[in-house]
Amino acid sequence: MAEKRESGRIKESEQKRILDEAARRRRQRKALEALESDNFQDDPHADLKMSKKAPKFEESMDTTPQTGGRKKKKYRSDHLKYRFKKSFSALIEEEHLTNKDPPNYVSVCAPPSRLPPRHFCAVCGYISTYTCVQCGARYCSIKCLGTHQDTRCLKWTA
Amino acid sequence: MAVLVLDNGAGCAKIGYSTSSDPRIIPNCVSKAKNVRTRIFIGDQIDECKDLSGLYYLLPFQKGYMVNWEVEKQVWDYMFGKEKLKVDFNESSVILTEPYFNFTSIQEAMNEILFEEYGFQAAFRTNPSYLSQYKLQQDTDSSKLCSLVLDTGYSFSHIIPYCKGKKLTESIVRVNVGGKLLTNHLKEIISYRQLMVMDETYVINQLKEDVCYVSTQFNADMLTSRKKGLANTVMRDYVLPDYTHIKRGYVRSQEETTGKAQGNEQIIRMNNERFSVPELLFRPSDVGVQEMGITEALIHCVSTTPEEMQPHFYRNIVTTGGNCLIPGFQERFHMDVRSMAPDEFDISITSSKNPVTYAWEGGVQLANDPNFHKLVVTRAEFEEHGHNICMERFEV
Repeated sequence: MAEKRESGRIKESEQKRILDEAARRRRQRKALEALESDNFQDDPHADLKMSKKAPKFEESMDTTPQTGGRKKKKYRSDHLKYRFKKSFSALIEEEHLTNKDPPNYVSVCAPPSRLPPRHFCAVCGYISTYTCVQCGARYCSIKCLGTHQDTRCLKWTA
Repeated sequence: MAVLVLDNGAGCAKIGYSTSSDPRIIPNCVSKAKNVRTRIFIGDQIDECKDLSGLYYLLPFQKGYMVNWEVEKQVWDYMFGKEKLKVDFNESSVILTEPYFNFTSIQEAMNEILFEEYGFQAAFRTNPSYLSQYKLQQDTDSSKLCSLVLDTGYSFSHIIPYCKGKKLTESIVRVNVGGKLLTNHLKEIISYRQLMVMDETYVINQLKEDVCYVSTQFNADMLTSRKKGLANTVMRDYVLPDYTHIKRGYVRSQEETTGKAQGNEQIIRMNNERFSVPELLFRPSDVGVQEMGITEALIHCVSTTPEEMQPHFYRNIVTTGGNCLIPGFQERFHMDVRSMAPDEFDISITSSKNPVTYAWEGGVQLANDPNFHKLVVTRAEFEEHGHNICMERFEV
């Protein structure tokens, strides 16, 4: 009989999945990357069919011999296009390889603040005093904790 | 010869001839509208668009640096072309601004674009703070040798110290918080708390400009915004545009703020969001960006300069960039600098009348400087010496 008796709270806490430090950092980084994004939605014109004005591939084949000047100009802007086709991370990498002496993009970034970080409720935005045991998000009241668990906590996997 | 001044910001390009008094401010992007499928909108052509919901942006800049020339070329062709400035490249030179510590490959490509793609007769590439400090020196007492420029724009904020017209490169500090991050953060919290607006960057940016403010008493405002009824002086309703009857979103006054939508309109209740969003400029750690805020970074920047210059920097600070337009920014900035800077130093902050165009105006003044021709690289020089002469002459 005694074996069957058990505490609901203990049972529940054993089932809870707790994110480790690395996963929490990964989530944080993802949230910060989202703050840099240009658009949330997909290109609304992505499914557009090519219009009549769009260049056809055969055209450039016939015009090569006559219009030398035009072709050269086209080549130039094409080549600039490729030079600029570097992503931001590729640029950083390149900078890192060529120019290592300190005053550069990486070195001028402001160091971490000396002031202690403030914490705000992830739900309502007011000062928070509690931390969610599972995911590390902050909350300020039982009500906000409920909202947090119903909507965000471990809902999006990192 | 005409001089074209182009302050090529990641959010907005400020462009005009050195003879005009005001620049044209053109969004530096190509946008696509959800409901207009026949065309795209380049730069300020977006003003022709009737339905601005769900705008999709193509931006030439990423994290403040140009990575997409295809998009930028469309915007530049449009600005230089017959619809806007009608530039005669054979009769024009150009002053172009670039981000701080611009990458070498971008700088080289920029030279080729200016001289070969467009064929300007002469060019001067620099960064916006150079033009700002030049203007500051021209407008105020020019006996001051040191100045400190705060440039807080779309992608990030920089603090740049200048002494005798030369920047102290080692002391420059960057904080990775700009207008874009503020808008995206506001979008995110509204979408979680009230209404899904993740697609509405344009609308939420207007909302930010209309109702957000920098608090000078953060904790007190936090308490006020918790109160109910009339005691809560922070709360405002913002009516969203529907682009049929309401062409633009607007804010309701405190008396009319009821939290109830009238008719078919949609509202967003702005409470602590109003001041906690711009607060990120001063405390990036509030969203987990482990960096100093702009005032702390300013103090840090000055502390790395030679000791005998430090009092002079505090005495000559200028604030530029779009974020300075947020109400309360100047008061808060002054208050924070005063409380963090050493007590014995005097502090003087020049707040530009129009922080967005300040650098551009500096560019106009520089173009009329008798020594301007010594700064530029001409096309003939570029053809002779290539990128090297640009690297020597321009300090980006």
